[in-house]
Amino acid sequence: MIRKHTRRAAKAAFCVSFGVAIVLGGLTAGALSAPKAQPTIKLGSKNFTEEYVLAELYKQALQAKGFKVESKGSLGSSELADTALTSGKINMYPEYTGVIVLDLAHKASPKTADATFRAAKAFEQSRGFTVLNRTPFFDTDSVAVLTSTAAKYGLHTISDIAKFKGTFRYAGYPECPIRITCGLGLTKIYGLKNISFLTIGTIPVTTLIDQHKADGGDIFSTQPELASGKYAVLTDTKHIFGFQNVVPVVSKQLVTQLGPKFSSTVNAVSAKLTVQAMIAMNKAVAIDKKSPAAVASAFLKANGLK
Amino acid sequence: MSGILAGGPVIPNFGTGSHCVTHNDLFCADWVRDNWHGVLEPALVQHIELSAKAVAIGFAIAFVAAVAARRARLVETPFRLFSAFVYTIPSLALFQLLIPITGLTDTTVEIALVGYTLLILFRNILAGLRSVPEDVLESARGMGLTATQILWRIELPLALPSIVAGVRIATVSTISLATIAAFVRPIGLGYPIFIAIGDDIFKTELIAAGVLAVALALVSDVVLVLVQRLLTPWVRARAA
Repeated sequence: MIRKHTRRAAKAAFCVSFGVAIVLGGLTAGALSAPKAQPTIKLGSKNFTEEYVLAELYKQALQAKGFKVESKGSLGSSELADTALTSGKINMYPEYTGVIVLDLAHKASPKTADATFRAAKAFEQSRGFTVLNRTPFFDTDSVAVLTSTAAKYGLHTISDIAKFKGTFRYAGYPECPIRITCGLGLTKIYGLKNISFLTIGTIPVTTLIDQHKADGGDIFSTQPELASGKYAVLTDTKHIFGFQNVVPVVSKQLVTQLGPKFSSTVNAVSAKLTVQAMIAMNKAVAIDKKSPAAVASAFLKANGLK
Repeated sequence: MSGILAGGPVIPNFGTGSHCVTHNDLFCADWVRDNWHGVLEPALVQHIELSAKAVAIGFAIAFVAAVAARRARLVETPFRLFSAFVYTIPSLALFQLLIPITGLTDTTVEIALVGYTLLILFRNILAGLRSVPEDVLESARGMGLTATQILWRIELPLALPSIVAGVRIATVSTISLATIAAFVRPIGLGYPIFIAIGDDIFKTELIAAGVLAVALALVSDVVLVLVQRLLTPWVRARAA
């Protein structure tokens, strides 16, 4: 009796495990070879908060309009994202216009945001891609000081730093003093004499400013800390920091295949992305730890895009 | 609404994080509660799917190979060498090697995960089959059983403990390895870990996802032990 029981149990066990293996294998194969009527948007992003939010915004808005979007997640730096794009692993990702021109095309920085956008578009079109409309917001390095400091010395533009009494201690990343888009620009292009550089390690610039170890420093223009109103951003009248609006980089083929509804959906999202909107979303994700998906969803719904 | 008419964006209230979250304290239960459905649960489900598929497919391949190797020794060495070779490739490198061929897809992840199960499963299944005493096989043949009957009725039941032991090791190691699938696809428990160590290390998310991965491995192991007991009732019958 026992032997018979055993035999059945063992046989059943193997049939079940085989069955599971075959069904699962079949499912994988089925999912891979499913026929596609409409090409899938393979959306990638770079590896920081703002990019996660942007990718979610475009993805959810497109899905709401019935497009098929496959999120490829974070790909790393601009160079890696660009490689994924040119090798066809992704066919869309949000990139900064200045990065396309300076870092990918290796050209000199154009003088206006519009010229930067045109240069970025021309570069992408020269190799089978294109860019859709740029966002109103731009995320570039900028000079931040305490609002109280700005009020005390009447600082509005970067040139105004000359009015600062004594040495202006400027906190920036290690390469800052030798970069024209940072410290070198302040001394060479603005001609500021009263600047000393303070290299940041792992302590954020804002913390150094808070503790009065620095008078001002290099900060991203959409950094969530700017939402507090504690810091004032000095206007970069000579544009040493370049122009960094976001554009969705998309393959030309995809734009043709998906038609005007695709471009208009993406452009409608980009049009709503002002500096204030982006700072609020970055803050919700980076500081309040809301998920990029939830933040993007709330924003799209509030703006009638989802 | 006025915002839409004016063309500017409406910025909704996204809600503020708790004191614990904004100060990045060691573990914020409120964040886990708020993000269970949005972040952790889907990641856990994806992780289970990834691992289960890999072990199931790996088992099917290793099983066929082991049975073939038991019958014909010629099969054994090449498959053993192949699975051992795959096993020695660093996982991140294997993902990178596969990306040009299979792209940033689930297939890339599964091929790598399946590859790492083969050596363990093949060796254990084969060892199990080989552990069947020759006199038992002799009597089976004497009773007139065919080779197929011997496999299903004699060899496999007796090899079960060794086979299940292999499946346990393969399952636990696959669950652990599947966390780095997040390098290829934004899925599984590796993804929240990846995000948590991205900008600044968000401790709660890192710990929550890590603990879930460990818990999943432990639970799977216990389940497999129970399955083994269920499949080998004679062991307990003999003990009693």
